Amino acid sequence: MQKYISQQNFTALLDALIKQGTRVVAPKLNAGTVLYEPLAAAGEMVADQLPRRSGKEAFFPLCEEIMSYEKTGQQVALTDIDPARFPETVLIGVRPCDAAAIPVLDAVFSWDYKDEFFLERRRKTTVVGLACTTADDACFCTAVGISPAETRGSDLFLSPLVGGGYRCESYSDKGEALINSHSALFAEPSGAEALPLAEPQTEKFDLKKVKAWLDEHFEDPAWDSIATRCVGCGACAFVCPACHCFDIVDEGTEKKGKRRKSWDACGFWKFTHHASGHNPRDQQPKRYRNRIMHKFKYYDDKFGQTLCTGCGRCIRLCPVGIDIAAIVEEISKKEV
Amino acid sequence: MHPEKTSHTFEPKVIAFVCTWCTYAGADLAGTSRMQYPSNVRVLKFPCTGRIDPVFILKAFQQGADGVLVSGCHPGDCHYIAGNFHARRRFAVFRKLLEFVGVDLNRLQFSWVSAAEGGKWVEVVTDLTERVRAMGPMTEFKELALEEQWSGVIDTPELKEAFSQI
Amino acid sequence: MTQSIDTSSYSAITEAIQAEAQRVLGDGTVTAVIGYAAARRKGSAQPIVISQADDAARLIFTPACVNNLAVYLTKAKKEIPRNGRIGIVVKGCDLKALVGLMGESQLKRENLYLIGIPCSGVLASTIQPDTELTADTLASKCRECDAHQPTGCDFVPPQLPVAPELEKKYQAEISRLEALTPAERWAYWKEQFAKCIKCYACRQVCPFCFCEQCLCDRNKPQMVETTPRPAGNTAWHIVRAMHLAGRCAGCAECERVCPMDIPLNLLNRKMAKELKELFDYEAGFEVNDKGPLTMFTEKDDQSFIK
Repeated sequence: MQKYISQQNFTALLDALIKQGTRVVAPKLNAGTVLYEPLAAAGEMVADQLPRRSGKEAFFPLCEEIMSYEKTGQQVALTDIDPARFPETVLIGVRPCDAAAIPVLDAVFSWDYKDEFFLERRRKTTVVGLACTTADDACFCTAVGISPAETRGSDLFLSPLVGGGYRCESYSDKGEALINSHSALFAEPSGAEALPLAEPQTEKFDLKKVKAWLDEHFEDPAWDSIATRCVGCGACAFVCPACHCFDIVDEGTEKKGKRRKSWDACGFWKFTHHASGHNPRDQQPKRYRNRIMHKFKYYDDKFGQTLCTGCGRCIRLCPVGIDIAAIVEEISKKEV
Repeated sequence: MHPEKTSHTFEPKVIAFVCTWCTYAGADLAGTSRMQYPSNVRVLKFPCTGRIDPVFILKAFQQGADGVLVSGCHPGDCHYIAGNFHARRRFAVFRKLLEFVGVDLNRLQFSWVSAAEGGKWVEVVTDLTERVRAMGPMTEFKELALEEQWSGVIDTPELKEAFSQI
Repeated sequence: MTQSIDTSSYSAITEAIQAEAQRVLGDGTVTAVIGYAAARRKGSAQPIVISQADDAARLIFTPACVNNLAVYLTKAKKEIPRNGRIGIVVKGCDLKALVGLMGESQLKRENLYLIGIPCSGVLASTIQPDTELTADTLASKCRECDAHQPTGCDFVPPQLPVAPELEKKYQAEISRLEALTPAERWAYWKEQFAKCIKCYACRQVCPFCFCEQCLCDRNKPQMVETTPRPAGNTAWHIVRAMHLAGRCAGCAECERVCPMDIPLNLLNRKMAKELKELFDYEAGFEVNDKGPLTMFTEKDDQSFIK
């Protein structure tokens, strides 16, 4: 279904959704930083900037409670989380690189174990993508086979038009339902032209060739030159739309507390640290190697997809300037 | 000889980190001398004020203390010669940090109480307890402990309110 | 109009560093040089370790050379080979960190070959690396820098740094916060700390966070909650600022790398201000084997103690 919505009606749509109790998550300025956050009013949405963290947060929270416990005498009471309590959500203004990562995450969260924390939020969320009209030299979505108008992962996709408003195209029942629920705000598509799309400058990677090299070069001196500079923080994984590792900890006292799940990162020294004291990834280049391997080889082996959508956040935010696009490009030029 | 107990609506929790050689002995003296002081204070004994890590104070506030007292030997009297001198510098800096992040320093007291100063112990503890009582509960850290990242929140009050208005 | 900052000397500095690195690698004075090299993005730079004289030509110095390379010499970074003397490119602020590490017996001066930079400033963290350096794009730390010209190095290019007088942003912000009520300050920091994602970039780039096991990574006892919730975040940032008090050299790397733009250096600057007032201590170019919080005098202020 293709429709048109004016800027004014778009604002009205968001306000109506918020008013009816739907959680509307969109790029919003929070203490000086643009993040995907729930809006209190449509006016808070910041449409022209890529949020600092990705949209995965709407399904895979930074930190969430998964259980609580309380001990009285010899009795221990455990309370589970009821996924039915997750709020209905519209995730709106999602960049194509963030939206495209959602189906990638679906694969891992519904594989051998069905992660209801992720899947129930996923069911309850309508994803509204937004075409990208600006890019910087850290953007490389086109290099990993995605475009600034990629609709994968979006239930409804918005393309900003010259002269204001958006062309809306639905790609799923959820997208259609969103249009139908407020059909008065939508009009038939006009002939207005879409704003020119962003043009990331990176050349398309030969991902098959990259994988072929990775298949054979688990041990290679290149890893040292690539990642000796890595300082071992988790910034790259935490801002990544596709990274999905998490840690589980119990917080509280012996008597009462909560079990929580929060993001983890393979760059951390502690990530593979065994209780015995042994650490199979004892040096930073081995940890960084895992990042590249997971994204461009392991995930492909297992799910036939690439665990990178080229948003460029890790490049912009790496404390020591590690550039995944440059690394993959370099690998793609190597002799297999 | 026991003064009549007055009842209050708010009984603050006061945590006292004390050194075993001076202040703990001073508190003991107050007890054996049958001096009265507020039972609001929970005493935690350490070898020396030099062992009292600033993070303990932070933890005390996080776990629900309304006031914190750190007390040890007078300068020059440290059983380990210089532990309290080191502590003095550390706490001089730490209290400034807490103040800068928005903790009201009226909730944090430092004192030197010797083994002979049972009376001073009573005075310090009573002063702090009554001051904190007048200030009311320390809510900042407790409220913080209940907060979640938006994405981890289920059934937010705002949502509930929005639903109830439909 | 925005005041531009003259970085015309940087290309001559680059040439001088390259020549010096080539010489000391070539004649065996050092086994490796840690410096900056150009990266893929236009105008960008990244840290590099070179051990061949031929690679010296890769070294650069530009306004995008923001890192404090001292972090690579701490015991936390085992990946850098430690045999013989190591050369390192340092700006004044980075040198202060190295001096602090020497004072804490982490490094020996004779094992280092210091290539100092007469630095006029570098770019702020959120600026595209190819941007021209102006009063607006300059890193906040550079606005109040007192170490443009490092001293005590083995080699410093002859160019002179320019250091225009600019408004001191940290000082102004500290004064603003100090004038607020405790509740208002709490609200400010609460909002900032809530953004923290516990990526620990601030810890990992800090030259002084070289503990092999951080207190905040331990869970028995767990002094600080590890999850990125407002409570654990606040505790983490208080602990971090306290552990750096009297040690922080002011390189502001923590603030630069924070992916969530938390003004971490504000806490460090506030601590530095208090240490100056209380104990007349300031991070500088001279090695002291005792920091302000590892020493004392009998006359220290105790007006806050009953």
